[in-house]
Amino acid sequence: MIIESKDISKPVRESADVCIIGSGCGGGASAKILAEAGKKVIVIEEGGYFKTDEFESTEEFAFSNLYRQRAGQATDNLAVTVLQGKCVGGSSTVNWTTSLRTPDFVLEQWAKEFGVKGMRTKDLDPYFMRIEKYLNVHVEPDENHNLQNRIILDGAKKLGYRAKATGRNTRDCAKIGACGFGCPIGAKMSVNVTYIPDAVKAGATIFSEFRADKIEVTGSQKKVLGAIVDRLTQKQVSDFVIEAPIVVVSASSIFSPVLLLKSKLANSSGQVGKHLTFHLTSALLGTFDRSMYPSSGIPQSALCDEFLNKNGDGGGFWMEAVPATPTLAALAIPGFGGEHRKLMQKYPSIGATIVLVKEIDSEGTVTVNDYGRPSISYDLGSRDLDYLKQGLKATAEVQFAAGAKEVLTLHARMTSFKSLDDIEKKLARADWGPNEIALYSAHPLGTCRMGEDARNSVVDSHCQTHDVKGLFVIDGSVTPTSLGVNPQITLLAISEKSAEWIVENFNRIVG
Amino acid sequence: MLNPGINDSYSRRRFLKQSTFGVLALSASRFFPVFDSGVNLPPQIVGQLRFFSPKEYLIVEAMADRMIGKLNDGAPSASQVDVPLRADKFLSGADPEIQEQFHQLLTVFNAPAFTFLFDFRLSSFINMKPEDQDTYLEDWMTSIIGFRRTGFQALKRVSLSMFYTESRSWKEIGFEGFDAPR
Repeated sequence: MIIESKDISKPVRESADVCIIGSGCGGGASAKILAEAGKKVIVIEEGGYFKTDEFESTEEFAFSNLYRQRAGQATDNLAVTVLQGKCVGGSSTVNWTTSLRTPDFVLEQWAKEFGVKGMRTKDLDPYFMRIEKYLNVHVEPDENHNLQNRIILDGAKKLGYRAKATGRNTRDCAKIGACGFGCPIGAKMSVNVTYIPDAVKAGATIFSEFRADKIEVTGSQKKVLGAIVDRLTQKQVSDFVIEAPIVVVSASSIFSPVLLLKSKLANSSGQVGKHLTFHLTSALLGTFDRSMYPSSGIPQSALCDEFLNKNGDGGGFWMEAVPATPTLAALAIPGFGGEHRKLMQKYPSIGATIVLVKEIDSEGTVTVNDYGRPSISYDLGSRDLDYLKQGLKATAEVQFAAGAKEVLTLHARMTSFKSLDDIEKKLARADWGPNEIALYSAHPLGTCRMGEDARNSVVDSHCQTHDVKGLFVIDGSVTPTSLGVNPQITLLAISEKSAEWIVENFNRIVG
Repeated sequence: MLNPGINDSYSRRRFLKQSTFGVLALSASRFFPVFDSGVNLPPQIVGQLRFFSPKEYLIVEAMADRMIGKLNDGAPSASQVDVPLRADKFLSGADPEIQEQFHQLLTVFNAPAFTFLFDFRLSSFINMKPEDQDTYLEDWMTSIIGFRRTGFQALKRVSLSMFYTESRSWKEIGFEGFDAPR
């Protein structure tokens, strides 16, 4: 059963075996596993619930209804835009379908440096296989790549760089290009059309527009308290209290630490909110002498992974295509006024490629601001900055090899190249401080990291907090390091594995 | 090891409060409220405002027109796409801290005391000539003071997102929505 705030006329008081806060990859997958095991599960979700035919495929609708802060969530200084879903299904509802397994070297690092148990490739492979089957993860045939993805495939091939088709979680995709706005035909196998309906079928209750404000612990029992909000005004219309012996916090790497910090729970290590990683992203905009249809077709179906962990230091970067929808393009294009508008008039011939850096010496922090909401900061490390510069240079090479006539970085002081000759010189002269180049994150991770040492981690290898028995964090916040790949398959695997452990150990946890 | 320059500049500080200078400017903004005396705004617009004061509406209108630009080719201006009213609606639903900071930003951005402080200009933003408004925006965008660059980003994001999410702006850029041929 899915219950929306408009269906509620009085305060809600409920009890369950497990209360899950959040309905994205972490919460949705956990809800399915737990409900199918016969547990009474209540999921609360701050965002709204939309049926697939209610997705309007416009930026206006999507930003207003499906994203955090109308897609304007950012670090406090606005230097890094942090895109997150805020709806049933979480970010999976608005992602671009890329479905990739966790790299081996990342899982090895988790085991060796953080003592994480049972999360090596051999342990997660059965979950990856099961999830890929459930979500119909597949690669597209060559003819299905749009012109944006062809930049990567064709450009990288000419240069001898490794590039390939990505896995995608779709079934009968119509190639509309609206993945980022909620798939209007239900072809994207996102959590809202897979795990959540299956959890509901197994008896789970989903409350949407329920915002958790606090968790209280009394003995082995826990209470989740919060506000029921109106979808349009976001004003509180009532309140709720859900009691359960097990609470799973799956509110994302930005909101899970906020909830724990506000509740003064699980932070004896002092690590809650720390070690935020972004999979830091910037872009290059190439202009071509033909129409590139920057927002049509499958948005993301190819990548170049030539430079990920190439030096064996666990860092590096890779390239993906991006659907440059009008507003995303307008905000990315440097400058303002007439010059900006002239560039926007070249919109149909823009080819956009993003560079994503797997951080090794950058970190962010999430704290609670005066209004009880997240305050996000981020320190960009010198090695990652160097990888970002290398990434922009390599991507410019790929763009030119694919036929770009001019390539533009996202620096506030317009930085463009008409040939490869002056790239290094211009990048060396460019400014790299906050708001001197546009930076993004669609993969914020960390902040409640996993590990076996309670002194420097928040949860153990089963995602249970070291401090509070029966309190779990199951979402992107538990990853000890940046992944270097799009995270949804990793998060689903961690979630399914952790939820299975809860089922197997339920009596011991609540006893 | 973090790059010292980068580490300093990306460090944990609240929106706009990027430096001692920024903190002082924002604090001082409380003493320079945006007065509405002498503001002539049609009652049908005033009646729709939920977030901006009439004076703030005019600041945003002037700022957005320069931010979006006009190319004399018949394409709509920011005002013609109702950017100020759409921004008012958007900000009326924003988080309270963002609302508070946006009010402060508009004061700091427009007030003559601050335009003089920043750029030795004696005019408020809305009373500058268009070419001076462009130079002033350029100064904010590329300023060595972090909180001015942040402020510019806030103004740019509001203006451009309100303009380009509106279907009336699409024809000019050849965007046809999501059923376009590939």
